[in-house]
Amino acid sequence: MSVTDVEAPPRPSPKPVRKPPRKPRPAPGSKRFSPLRVLGSTIVWLFTAGNILVLYWLLTASFKTPVEIFTKPFDLPYQWFKVGKPFRNFIYAWNNAGFGEAVLTTVVLVGLATVVTVAVSAPCAYALTRLGVRGSGPMTNVVAIGMGVPFQTVIIPLFVVLSKVHLDNEYGLFVLYVALSIPFTVFLMTGFFRSLPDELEEAAALDGASPMRTFFSVMLPLTRGGMITALTLNAIGLWNETLLAIVFLKDQAHFTLSRALFTFYGAASYQSEYGGLIAGVAIVVLPMLVLYLVLARRIITGLTLGAGK
Amino acid sequence: MATVTTPATPPARAVKAGAHLSRKKRLFWPFAAPALVLYLAFLVLPTIATVVLSFTSWAGAGDTPEPNGVTNYTQMWASDSFQYAFRNTLIYVFLGGIGTFALAFLFTMVLRDMKGGKIVRAILFFPNIVAPVALGMFLGFVFKYQPGKQGLANYVLEGLGADAAKFLAPSNVTGVVTASLIWASSGFYITILMAAVDRIPPYLYEDAELGGASPWQKFRNITLPMTWDVVGVAGVLWTINALKIFELVFVLAGPGTYAPPNEAWTLGIYVFDRTFGSNGTPDFGAACACAVAMIALVSVLVVLLRRLMRRDAIQF
Repeated sequence: MSVTDVEAPPRPSPKPVRKPPRKPRPAPGSKRFSPLRVLGSTIVWLFTAGNILVLYWLLTASFKTPVEIFTKPFDLPYQWFKVGKPFRNFIYAWNNAGFGEAVLTTVVLVGLATVVTVAVSAPCAYALTRLGVRGSGPMTNVVAIGMGVPFQTVIIPLFVVLSKVHLDNEYGLFVLYVALSIPFTVFLMTGFFRSLPDELEEAAALDGASPMRTFFSVMLPLTRGGMITALTLNAIGLWNETLLAIVFLKDQAHFTLSRALFTFYGAASYQSEYGGLIAGVAIVVLPMLVLYLVLARRIITGLTLGAGK
Repeated sequence: MATVTTPATPPARAVKAGAHLSRKKRLFWPFAAPALVLYLAFLVLPTIATVVLSFTSWAGAGDTPEPNGVTNYTQMWASDSFQYAFRNTLIYVFLGGIGTFALAFLFTMVLRDMKGGKIVRAILFFPNIVAPVALGMFLGFVFKYQPGKQGLANYVLEGLGADAAKFLAPSNVTGVVTASLIWASSGFYITILMAAVDRIPPYLYEDAELGGASPWQKFRNITLPMTWDVVGVAGVLWTINALKIFELVFVLAGPGTYAPPNEAWTLGIYVFDRTFGSNGTPDFGAACACAVAMIALVSVLVVLLRRLMRRDAIQF
């Protein structure tokens, strides 16, 4: 039997999906009226409604004129539709903020950086959890501490050194994105690797698989869920990253989206181009909203695993 | 600062040493080295460099750092801008933290057995995927004060018959940012806490209900003790995230192109303004000192928090 045939019990999910037991009906008389509970539910619903309202406001305002935005915040957009230019704000933002190039830069930069981050972090996480090397535990902790280092602490020496070797551009930013995403990704992936049963590795070894093969053909495919989570969370984080982009990107033609939005804010505020600005915000936010809607469950389980372990 | 504890690899593997095991161990460095080297080169070394440079007088690129002892620290501590930055950062960490966790706890009490709880959680989480820059700009429109062209918040206030407030004036902005932070980040902590709450065996709650426990008693005697460890981790995450807050305040409190007024500063803005901000003269030495203050503050707060939260684990 070849190694690839090693059967893994519950296939792709790194943690067996456990269905919560059926919730029994509350015992009669136990649902007492409680002011705390009423207050809590009210706040929860107000909060939720508030969030939906805010999203509604953002979406409608991106189609409005400044006058409409501030005098009729809850109405549906009207003016631009009447003149037959419903996407006027989006076109304005797209042309004036240089979003066209920024989208390309951001997609390539964020895409490559997340893939490389996971490609570098997954073997490291495997080595730290599964190879039984002395000192792995403390080493994992040292890497995890890196999550607590604010970017501001490392940015000054990094900027000076990288600009000396002329890497104060999108290439330097790519390396930084990969390096600074490593602590979180390694930490997240160790959680996934640790949850795999030992028997799989042993079975692969008995079948004569080399440790290398065991990793690539048995263990790595089993953490596919973890890798997708790591990719998604890093993609969201880097898509939204602004501080490093402000410091390292000087050439407007290579701005990332959040960087372009930052510059656009200063320029468009002076001209009171509020419709365009809100459309700009929407352009940056909407791709993440779509990603979130598609992957919400995975993002949330990933965060939970990262924090709960 | 031990953020995480890692259980040692199972001892079973260490016992049966053999050819296979040593082959496995040979894999360690090729696998771990790339990530560890990057980590060392881009996080550990720069942090050390920042600490060293914080004891020099250094205007920035082109200037040579000259050792000057603790001058940066004493000057920084005496300056108004640092005092404001330090105060505001602590407000965000503590006041924002208390607000966020109070809200999160309240929600866990309600969401546990609420219909549609999953959807509510997803909606509350949403602000966390929005870029802080975009969030700051967006909140800027919501809290805009300009008679005749009021933002959403003042529009509602005026609609209710109240007076419009200058939310973004330097003296008010800290409070507004604290509230915004609580609003934006509570979803994240609710999600984490709720995942822990979902793991609590339901029979504990049923038992408490039969005994006639109030929601507060259930929270105090079941939810809180059973999620204590996760609360601790969430607290550490909050401290780390709140301490480096930068973009949100920068955009919300200022014009966006240069730093906002001193009163609204955070430590992150201080570092940025002394180095890469377009307003004012660069002083990299002082910025390094502030960066060191940031990481020292993170370490102290995290260690304190872990101390406070330490107790024997509950198995269930």
